[in-house]
Amino acid sequence: MSFLSKLQNIDRRVIYVIVLLALAIPLINPLGIPLSISPLTEDVYNLVESLQPGDVVLMSLDYSPGGSPDVHPQAVAVAEHLYKKGVKMAMVSFWDAGPMYGEQILKKYEEQGLVYGTDVVNLGFVSGGETAIRQFGFDVPGTVKVDFRGKNTAGMPIMEGIKDARDFALVIDFVSGNPGINEWVRQVQGPLGIKLAAGAVTVNVPQTMPFVQSGQVLGLLQGLRGAAEYEILIGVPGTAAAGMDAQSLGHMAIIAFILVGNIAFLLDKKVK
Amino acid sequence: MRREVPIVITFVVGIIMLLTNFIKIGAGEVGLIQQWSSELSNWVIIVAAFAVGLASVNLMKIHSNNITRQRPGWVNSLILVGSLIAFAIIGTIARLNPGTATAELNQNLFDYVMSPLGAAMFAILCFYIASASYRAFRMRSAEATVLLIAAVLVMLGRAPIGELMWNQFPGIAKWLLDIPNTAGQRAIMIGAAIGGFATSLRILLGIERGHLGGAE
Repeated sequence: MSFLSKLQNIDRRVIYVIVLLALAIPLINPLGIPLSISPLTEDVYNLVESLQPGDVVLMSLDYSPGGSPDVHPQAVAVAEHLYKKGVKMAMVSFWDAGPMYGEQILKKYEEQGLVYGTDVVNLGFVSGGETAIRQFGFDVPGTVKVDFRGKNTAGMPIMEGIKDARDFALVIDFVSGNPGINEWVRQVQGPLGIKLAAGAVTVNVPQTMPFVQSGQVLGLLQGLRGAAEYEILIGVPGTAAAGMDAQSLGHMAIIAFILVGNIAFLLDKKVK
Repeated sequence: MRREVPIVITFVVGIIMLLTNFIKIGAGEVGLIQQWSSELSNWVIIVAAFAVGLASVNLMKIHSNNITRQRPGWVNSLILVGSLIAFAIIGTIARLNPGTATAELNQNLFDYVMSPLGAAMFAILCFYIASASYRAFRMRSAEATVLLIAAVLVMLGRAPIGELMWNQFPGIAKWLLDIPNTAGQRAIMIGAAIGGFATSLRILLGIERGHLGGAE
């Protein structure tokens, strides 16, 4: 096999090892590559910044463990911002794993003094996908009579005055697939005209862009980078910012392999 | 009757769900049709919850068979069944007794077992994607070259290191996402919506009967 052919057929194990090193080294020894802030991240930040203390924001945690490395840091960063602003947080999920991530987030704030049922609530998982999103959007108390901790939602101070999704000052959908932002837009945002923002797993960003351009989604956190940008905006660098160097080198390793493969392919073609 | 009754039910339910967006009957805050559609939506939620239970029973049945007959990979089935039972028992007890040690154990199992395992499964894709993109992204044709260049530019624009190399990369990536991508996505969405509408209409009118289980 010629040298050019070898370059076109690098063993996959070599690729795996190099990608692994490209990801691991910056995690162990961060490079501190500067990160600019996307206007869409700033839009989410400004939406939260415009809220008043006492407002209730709904966080729809629609992701699974698979998508959580990309999306959960977004939810954590936004929750931190809401907490700093004194905004109340209600959480719901149309994915079964969502309420467990909600508990992860709430645990920290309950330890810091927020009162469950008054400042925060985890409404749990509602099965039924798109239909459930619509039903929840149009009749919040009727859809979630009991929260994730088995408590009646009816007497909770945080749920006072909440009839439908319009009664939330803002709805933010953190999403890694369907049901998610598409369903929120067509079943709730469109008919009720709610204020809706999103945090999406990176692969979902392209399909969310039409809703951003149409103004139905008012701001969008784009994958881990979106979370890292938000962490920088609120001045609390966390796991997302730490992961960006690894993402950078990982992308560079993939690009390097693509370039090597193509240069060898073109040279080989010329020689033949 | 086995076909006519489901078709009539589908038509009536479909029409109610359709009309709820356009017509309000009654003087109250919530119209009659809206009340019916709300009730029907609640039924969907309940049926979907039962479907989760049914899926668990089906999973148990299939993997229990694998274990008893010691089919290839039966150890994996054993782990699956064991985990399913353990999570179901602990989850149920935790749900009935919030704030107890079992509830904490349930959360810890999720935080330190389920969530990292799920994340690791997804993360492994990174290695496959690296290997696959190295092999697939070759300049074999004009279309492949356009795809390759767009992919590299978006990667460079999204990764902070790309911006460090040339500060125009994020702008180029944004343009690719905002203009060609959005145009394509919008076309797909509108096409799918029209297709969905046409199919829904066929189902409502009883022309499309595939969901009833027959070929007609």
